[in-house]
Amino acid sequence: MMGALTKDVRRVAQGWRWSHRPLVPRSVDEPELTHRDFPTAWARTEAGKAARAFLQRYGLAPLLRAELTTKIEGVDVLQSLAPPVIFVANHSSHLDAPLVLTSLPPRWRERTAVGAAADYFFDVWWRAAATALVFNAFPVERAGARKSTRLARELIAEGWNVVVFPEGTRSRDGWVGEFRQGAARLAVENGIPVVPVSIRGSYQAMPRGRSWPLKGRPPVTVRFGRAVRPQPDEDAGAFNDRLRGALGVTVDEDRTTWWDAMRRDARGEVPPPEGPAAPRWRRVWEASRPLPAHGRSRAWPARR
Amino acid sequence: MSRPGFVLEVDERTPPTLFHHGEGFRLEKLPLGTRVVYPPEALAPIRHVDAAIAYALENPRGSEPLRTLLKPGMRLTIAIDDISLPLPPMRTPDIRGRVIEHVLELAARAGVDDVKLTIANSLHRRMTPKEIKRAVGERVFRSFWPDSLTNHDAEDRANLTYIGKTDRGEDVEINRRAAESDLLVYVNINLVAMDGGHKSVPVGLGSYRSLRHHHNVNTMLHSRSYMDPTASALHDSTGRMGRLLADKLKIFTIETTLNNDTFGKPFEFLQKREWEWSIADQAAYLAAKRTTDRTPPNLKRQIFHRIAAPYGITGITAGETEAVHEVTLQNVHRQQLVEVDGQADVLVAGLPYISPYNVNSILNPILVVCLGLGYFYNMYRGKPLVRPGGTMIMFHPVRREFHSVHHPSYIDFFEDVLSETTDPAQIEAKFEQQFANDPWYVHLYRSSYAYHGVHPFYMWYWAAHAMDQLGDVIFVGGDRKTVSRLGFRTATTLGDALDMSSETVGSSPRITALHTPPLLLADVR
Repeated sequence: MMGALTKDVRRVAQGWRWSHRPLVPRSVDEPELTHRDFPTAWARTEAGKAARAFLQRYGLAPLLRAELTTKIEGVDVLQSLAPPVIFVANHSSHLDAPLVLTSLPPRWRERTAVGAAADYFFDVWWRAAATALVFNAFPVERAGARKSTRLARELIAEGWNVVVFPEGTRSRDGWVGEFRQGAARLAVENGIPVVPVSIRGSYQAMPRGRSWPLKGRPPVTVRFGRAVRPQPDEDAGAFNDRLRGALGVTVDEDRTTWWDAMRRDARGEVPPPEGPAAPRWRRVWEASRPLPAHGRSRAWPARR
Repeated sequence: MSRPGFVLEVDERTPPTLFHHGEGFRLEKLPLGTRVVYPPEALAPIRHVDAAIAYALENPRGSEPLRTLLKPGMRLTIAIDDISLPLPPMRTPDIRGRVIEHVLELAARAGVDDVKLTIANSLHRRMTPKEIKRAVGERVFRSFWPDSLTNHDAEDRANLTYIGKTDRGEDVEINRRAAESDLLVYVNINLVAMDGGHKSVPVGLGSYRSLRHHHNVNTMLHSRSYMDPTASALHDSTGRMGRLLADKLKIFTIETTLNNDTFGKPFEFLQKREWEWSIADQAAYLAAKRTTDRTPPNLKRQIFHRIAAPYGITGITAGETEAVHEVTLQNVHRQQLVEVDGQADVLVAGLPYISPYNVNSILNPILVVCLGLGYFYNMYRGKPLVRPGGTMIMFHPVRREFHSVHHPSYIDFFEDVLSETTDPAQIEAKFEQQFANDPWYVHLYRSSYAYHGVHPFYMWYWAAHAMDQLGDVIFVGGDRKTVSRLGFRTATTLGDALDMSSETVGSSPRITALHTPPLLLADVR
């Protein structure tokens, strides 16, 4: 009997691609169907929160520490803030969301939700459930943002912090792409601050196409920049530009020093986050250059 | 807004396709390139059914309002379709009962005292009191059963009236009470395009003497198909009879159509497109599959025959028969018609547990043939879905089992007739009269709940057009001995069946599969 049951279950599992994204036959003249309406409210219940806290503390964080050499900076900016805030980060790897979450102090982390691509993370039930539970993720429609904005707005109204990757997808060349306006609009509409988060090293550690970080515990830094607040009468477009600039400064600060970055910002000489205008291979080459290994900081600058 | 039907072309992204397999299911991975015909989704039902009935009776087509036809002292007869419609039976309240209540309300208000209700069961088995009560509703049943609410008896010579001959010499004989009424109101459920119109009264209230003119091999061979009344010799004949009757008798026809909402929970997955199955649908399938695989046939049958369909009503039209039926057919087509481009070499279909002739009963081997080669093959207009000389592959266990009360003559037909020949014309010539006039079968038809002695012949004739056209018929999963008796072949798997069919259609045939339920009508261009 078990044999027949197993056979039936296997047939359904293979036919409906339980382990993959479900597909629609090509001759069906309709948009691709996904399970984007996957409910996530259950993951924000007390039980969901408790399970997530356990998984993040005893699963995710130790795993990241075991596979990466992480350095977290600038968390002190949160001391002058109160939830809800929006965290806006550059995005080049699947490591980014877990890195941001595990970098947050526990009392911030437990009140933070992550916007995740509906068509990728919420396409099959098991991936949707795991993403919702472990990352407190909610689905973001990448095409036609009305629905995702509604859900994010509801979460902010309930006092949740929200992590958004405004590029909408992982960078293909390691540099920062165009920002969609969803995060800026949310901030402007709700009058809440946005914290830029620079992530460096994740592209080198686990770029697109890899499902596990490179061996050797590659270095990764997560730096929280100074919060940016929408000005009265500032529209989402202008705020979005300012936000991108603030992220650029945070990346520059992480690359150099706070003082140097600040002075370059004052002079308007912050290196553009989108990287140099060069052929693709050179951009990828530059972006994939390994970060210097994190070690004890030098008492004196290195001899040049 | 419901989506129209369409033809899917199976590619590597297509999940397995669901097929009925008697009181069970099969998932089949169809060969790449197979075309699967999906019916339109269920149309939005009429929300205020009672208002729609009242409107139809007050605004009939080609007739005065029913209210004005009802007079004190008149003889009113109301005839309704029997248990063969719809399939599966609909959830209560049955639309027949709802319509009858409106008719009776008007009759009572008009002072009509002489009212009789008749089940137009033709040569089908009588309906049991419980089945009748379910169809007409408690109020009507309590008011009229048993004296004024009866099954039609096609063998009660004293209660049949010979109307005359059509211009083609066809005898027309119907129920005496209906023939002698001042007004005959016929309430139908038009599930498929074959039903209704002039087929209702001459067939439903007719006798063997009348039915033999169109229920025969020659007529069925020239009904291409009988689901397309414009190309059906069957409908030509019933049309002539119906028009003769309409000249002699005032008939007020009320026809109703249903949407495609055939299965409710937990069997909703049956009528969904497979790639849209949710996890819940997949779980429901697995649960249903495991349950049906492990349950004995008798128990399975009881479970399945308890299913009542959550059909919605898509049309209620009243008035003169032909004018009404024109609208009814439009409603049926709106729900069931799917355009299909060209014929296939192989037609694949899964046969369910139910046909018009085994409600609360057993789908015996002869009924399996009728369902597959009769109904499913004929679900077309224009050209058949499969080319002449093609193969039809069907999924059904085809067990050698019969309901001894409902289908006694079927047992003898299977044992005595099919063991000699399976050729419809030979069977008709040699055996039909013997079975039709057998006093024991007549007795069982009249006093028990048996189908008429001639009924298995009609089932065989229903398949005559398909048998004439097809080069091969294969039942996947069928009982080998039983299928062999029927004159066909069996295969264990669809792959084997396709291998076998290569003898007739070659090794790379064009394959078309029917996705039922719900029902569909292919418009083959």
